[in-house]
Amino acid sequence: MESPLHHFEVHTIIPIHIGGLDLSINNAVVAMWVGLAIIAGSFMLVVNRGVSPIPGKLQSVLEISLEFIRSMVYEFIGEDEGKKYVPFIASLFLFILACNLIGLVPGSYTITSQVVVTGAFATGIFIMTLVIGFCKHGMHFLGILVPPGVPKIMIPLMIPIEIISMLARPISLAVRLFANMTAGHTVLAVLFGLALTSPAWVSWMPFGFTIIINGLEIAIAFIQAYIFTTLTCVYIGDVIKLH
Amino acid sequence: MPQFEQVSVFGSLIFWSLLSFAILFFLLKKFAFPPILEALEEREKKIRKDIEDSEKLKEDAQTIKKDLEETLKAAHGKAETIVQLAQDEAKKFQEKNLQETEAKVRQVQKDAEQEIQSSRDKLLQEMRSYTAALTIASTEKFLKKALGDEDKKRLVEESIEQVIQELEKRQRN
Repeated sequence: MESPLHHFEVHTIIPIHIGGLDLSINNAVVAMWVGLAIIAGSFMLVVNRGVSPIPGKLQSVLEISLEFIRSMVYEFIGEDEGKKYVPFIASLFLFILACNLIGLVPGSYTITSQVVVTGAFATGIFIMTLVIGFCKHGMHFLGILVPPGVPKIMIPLMIPIEIISMLARPISLAVRLFANMTAGHTVLAVLFGLALTSPAWVSWMPFGFTIIINGLEIAIAFIQAYIFTTLTCVYIGDVIKLH
Repeated sequence: MPQFEQVSVFGSLIFWSLLSFAILFFLLKKFAFPPILEALEEREKKIRKDIEDSEKLKEDAQTIKKDLEETLKAAHGKAETIVQLAQDEAKKFQEKNLQETEAKVRQVQKDAEQEIQSSRDKLLQEMRSYTAALTIASTEKFLKKALGDEDKKRLVEESIEQVIQELEKRQRN
């Protein structure tokens, strides 16, 4: 029986090496592009047709998703400050959702099951929050390390704790998405492997579970994209409001 | 796990994913989001305005309804007053008519009574005078002689004849 982790292996399709750096195009990148092309194509289709005051089906779906993200951003960051972050958060949500969903197509690849990818995004967001914080508050931003109401004597203890807490944010953000995607696909691979290898009279059971877990994975794809973007909003909101 | 073992692809995955995200972000931010967000905001504004307008219209309608109700109430009050006045007027008129009629009836009754009384007095007067004349005549005859039945009858008839002549004489006078 093939290893259930086998389908997480990345295979190079077009090798590209620039200055000793491997930038080859592989199956994970191609799957991601397919997902992103569907997302971008849907939006471009609606925009090229002309945004109608009475929306069609596709426009309604896109409007609902945008409205949903916009209200989320306004809730955590605030309407005035949040307006400029709506495109970024919406793009992030759609990117993660597209990557999560495209990975559910058999033979495809979930790039968000790569911890380096989720880590890169989480780190990027963490750095972005720091930049926003320092741009908005200057050196007062360091006050985020001292929670309000803490006695002065506790400050030397609280600062390292807060630093660890801050650093844990991108790690948790990255690991959560990566672990959920990996776990879901591993379970699916195990069940499907069982369905293929077990006798016919019992193979229907793991196969049935595969279908159920696949439905669950679709929900998880949405939930994880939502959690990732919600936490991003929370982090941005935190550095803007400073407690 | 391949995700930790295939270190050689890390650079490629990070590079392409970040670049792809950047391109997606640029495309969506530049071309896709503005018209859709604008349409959303416009629709939101329109809906809010429509709701505000409808609320205003509702308030106006309520004010008009209230005014109409007040006007109707005032009209009802006026109508009631007018009806009351008319009823009072009619009652007064009726009473006045009744009084006048009663006065007339009393007058007519009084006149009739007076006329009856005068006729009666006149009749009594006449009867008294006839009776006196008859009595005088009868007494005269009686005093002259004792009378037989034939005489009596004749005397009575004479007396009656005399009375009739007297009456006719008076009537002529």
